[in-house]
Amino acid sequence: LAGSPSAGGQDPHGWRAPVDCVRANELCAAEPSCSSRYRTLRQCLAGRDRNTMLANKECQAALEVLQESPLYDCRCKRGMKKELQCLQIYWSIHLGLTEGEEFYEASPYEPVTSRLSDIFRLASIFSGMDPAANSKSNHCLDAAKACNLNDNCKRLRSGYISTCSKEISATEHCSRRKCHKALRQFFDRVPSEYTYRLLFCSCRDQACAERRRQTIVPSCSYEDKEKPNCLELRNTCRTDHLCRSRLADFHTNCQASFQSLTSCPGDNYQACLGSYAGLIGFDMTPNYVDASTTSITISPWCSCKGSGNMEEECEKFLRDFTENPCLRNAIQAFGNGTDVNLSP
Amino acid sequence: AAFGLYFPRKEYSENVYIDQPAGTPLLRIHALRDSHGEVAHFHLCQNLVISRARSHENHWFQIREKTGLLYLSKSLDREDFNMLSVGNWMSLSKVMLYVFLSSHPFQEKECDSATRSTVLLSLINATAPVCSSLTARQLCFTDMDLSFRIKENKPPGTFHQLQLPSVHHLCQNLSISYKLLAAEGMPFRYNVNTTGVSVTQRLDREERERYELIAKCTVREGFREMQVEVPFLVNVLDEDDSPPFLPNGTDTVDAVVEFNRKEGTVLATLTVYDADTTPIYPLKSSRKKYTGTIITDDPWISETFRVEHIFDEIHFSPNGSQVRGTRHEYKLVLNKSISVTDHRSFQLDVLVNDTEFHGPERSVMLHFNVSILPVSIQFPNTSYQFSVNRNAERFAQIGKICIENCMKFCGVNITYKLLSSNTSCYPVSILQGREDKYGSLYVNDSSALRRPECKEIQYTVQAIDEQSRKHTKTLLTIVLEGTLLKKEEDCPDSCAVSKHPVECEECGGLGVLTGRCQWRQGSGKGITTNYSTCTPSIKTCPDGICDVIESNDLAVCPQDCTSGNIIGGHGKGIGNLGIKSGHGICYCFPRENCYCEKDDIKEQLCDDVCKTVI
Repeated sequence: LAGSPSAGGQDPHGWRAPVDCVRANELCAAEPSCSSRYRTLRQCLAGRDRNTMLANKECQAALEVLQESPLYDCRCKRGMKKELQCLQIYWSIHLGLTEGEEFYEASPYEPVTSRLSDIFRLASIFSGMDPAANSKSNHCLDAAKACNLNDNCKRLRSGYISTCSKEISATEHCSRRKCHKALRQFFDRVPSEYTYRLLFCSCRDQACAERRRQTIVPSCSYEDKEKPNCLELRNTCRTDHLCRSRLADFHTNCQASFQSLTSCPGDNYQACLGSYAGLIGFDMTPNYVDASTTSITISPWCSCKGSGNMEEECEKFLRDFTENPCLRNAIQAFGNGTDVNLSP
Repeated sequence: AAFGLYFPRKEYSENVYIDQPAGTPLLRIHALRDSHGEVAHFHLCQNLVISRARSHENHWFQIREKTGLLYLSKSLDREDFNMLSVGNWMSLSKVMLYVFLSSHPFQEKECDSATRSTVLLSLINATAPVCSSLTARQLCFTDMDLSFRIKENKPPGTFHQLQLPSVHHLCQNLSISYKLLAAEGMPFRYNVNTTGVSVTQRLDREERERYELIAKCTVREGFREMQVEVPFLVNVLDEDDSPPFLPNGTDTVDAVVEFNRKEGTVLATLTVYDADTTPIYPLKSSRKKYTGTIITDDPWISETFRVEHIFDEIHFSPNGSQVRGTRHEYKLVLNKSISVTDHRSFQLDVLVNDTEFHGPERSVMLHFNVSILPVSIQFPNTSYQFSVNRNAERFAQIGKICIENCMKFCGVNITYKLLSSNTSCYPVSILQGREDKYGSLYVNDSSALRRPECKEIQYTVQAIDEQSRKHTKTLLTIVLEGTLLKKEEDCPDSCAVSKHPVECEECGGLGVLTGRCQWRQGSGKGITTNYSTCTPSIKTCPDGICDVIESNDLAVCPQDCTSGNIIGGHGKGIGNLGIKSGHGICYCFPRENCYCEKDDIKEQLCDDVCKTVI
């Protein structure tokens, strides 16, 4: 992987590269003027909207000083140490400033620079064959085999599978909370060479597609007695810093765009697949809706029933999963072992 | 007017290029009216939002207060551009502006009005393109969907202009014309001169809530002609303009309380329809909007009953097209458990109120005919008689004791007791699980079974309702039968230990009824709930339930009750207890492991020596 620019350095575009928010918080704490302004701003933001806050002179001054501090552009890394703490610092500033009701929120995570081709290269070393070579084989089965041959992948996979299939009582089918936690561990700690092969394997028959659908043990991690309204689900997700961040990351990296060849922002499939996998194990967990081999439809467990006057907004939100050309192209590209060739 | 003026869309977008001259028009914003005579005034908030969190004072963009035309008041040079790009991670920089709307001229900068729309400007790191480099799609429409929201019952007006002001300004030598393709009779009109699209009459969402049109654009450049078509959607926004109504006029239902007297029991449901939509998000406000109140002065009624309101979306088809409406369900629910002695009948009225509807028929009254019937605690007329084999072992299950309708009871706690008789023979006891509605009779003292003086033993069984202390009694006769068998030596105390039919059926064990364990021959296909195993009684073990007798001693039926390891192909039971399904034969060492395995070793071919070698 290419080394990222050092903290506070300049990247080729002349922009300041991001410091992570935990580090930025330490830098700010070491500087009396910054730390006092940060405290002031946090008080300003508590329970107030942006415009009320801006009307206050003291808050305005604190904001102006902080715009120059590293806290302002700080970001977090997926699976970093103290990820939650980092995100808490990020949202402590950004929540009050971004109205909180925006349709798309900017991702608090650093942009992904690696490419799908990196994965293919590694995957072919692991398996000793081109993933696209044998068209008759069941790719999802191959992915499971490959995972079982790796101790770490095997351990965490059987960990989440047993947790998610453990029946608690006659009424409680499983512990969803524990299942989600185990799934998050799997996707955070196992290299994507393994996890993506399981999640995004390409299928020619229904048995394979069903195996792909079952990857995350949907009966526990995905399905529920009732389907909530998608806007309600989004609201639930946004009350949790981690879920909110992962959703914002998905919107940043998988938002379909007309301005690129692949429909993906920056033609970066890897970033989209990564932020999709990052949603698994949260309230907004997405999955394949059926075991169809011809068309791939993905959705979180929600519907737009009962949206009232917000039906249009709800459908727009849902379409980013169900009819998203970027996400679909990225999954298909992974399945076919193809990536866009970009000059560096 | 509750809402006043409003924007027919929430977001607008346009591209801005470096060094575009001051005065360049960018886009046109429209407003729709709530009542006739209102005049729209547009205003920009003097802050640009950059990359969500940063903001900058706006020096470049202005809006015409009367027409809603957003234009560049100062050209954006490279320095401005770099400043506004700070903090933008994506290659594309965006700035956001808020446009406000008022029915009176703006006095000072008001930045906190609720009616606002967002303008997203993409800053393109290049000078404005030449017209010839633009595709027909780019010349005709922006990236954003042509999708609009028009409130029902509001006066008509213009809500969009198809021509892009920026393109029109840039490419004056091109001929770009538009057309709006709509089915006959649609309430929209396209004005060729202004390229404006207007709604021509008040809309009614309950008649139709979505209009799908097509905007067609033709670009002519010399002899070349290009055409682009995009969908043009209009959604009609709902307001509360329909009263509640009853399907088939049903406003009365019977609610009978008999065996089920538990708190939380749903007694009856009445349905109310409404042609308006009711959003389930946010749920709280919709609940408040549509209320259901029990009308009563009787404190007992208001303590004992509550009304639960749920609603969901349904579809009406007024004239072929589907529109969404709401079904409200009002459920009469017991708020506390009712004693078995209570006996009352009355009519309970619930007032349903559509609080946001402004009309005379905003409420309907629902009637529940409530009958609370007393239930009697009594045994079926006959007395109980059970026969027990003298060879039965401790924890053998003999039978069940149950008052009349006991399985139908809910929220009534009946306790069963055996009152001692005056002999010295007490072979049986009764036990009851926490939620069990019946008592299970089982052998408690197997030595009493074996004593010759014990032949026929009489007990009195009592059933008590915990809450009312009502009780009833009946006679129970236990007849001992059968002759004593000789006990096999070297038999384990648990049937579950045996893994072959022969050794199973020649031994006894805890819980057996006739002195011998029983072999269950399974289907033998893969991992199945019907696995082969040795059990004290096929009827009760393994049945997937660790019942109150079995849970007394793990040796009785570990197949249902084990919480230890299970080795071999298997599925665990509910709450991780017992073997729900197994592969081949499952056998257990109580308080240790269970094993499920296919018995591949044929006994005839393999003697003890051979087994040891393997």
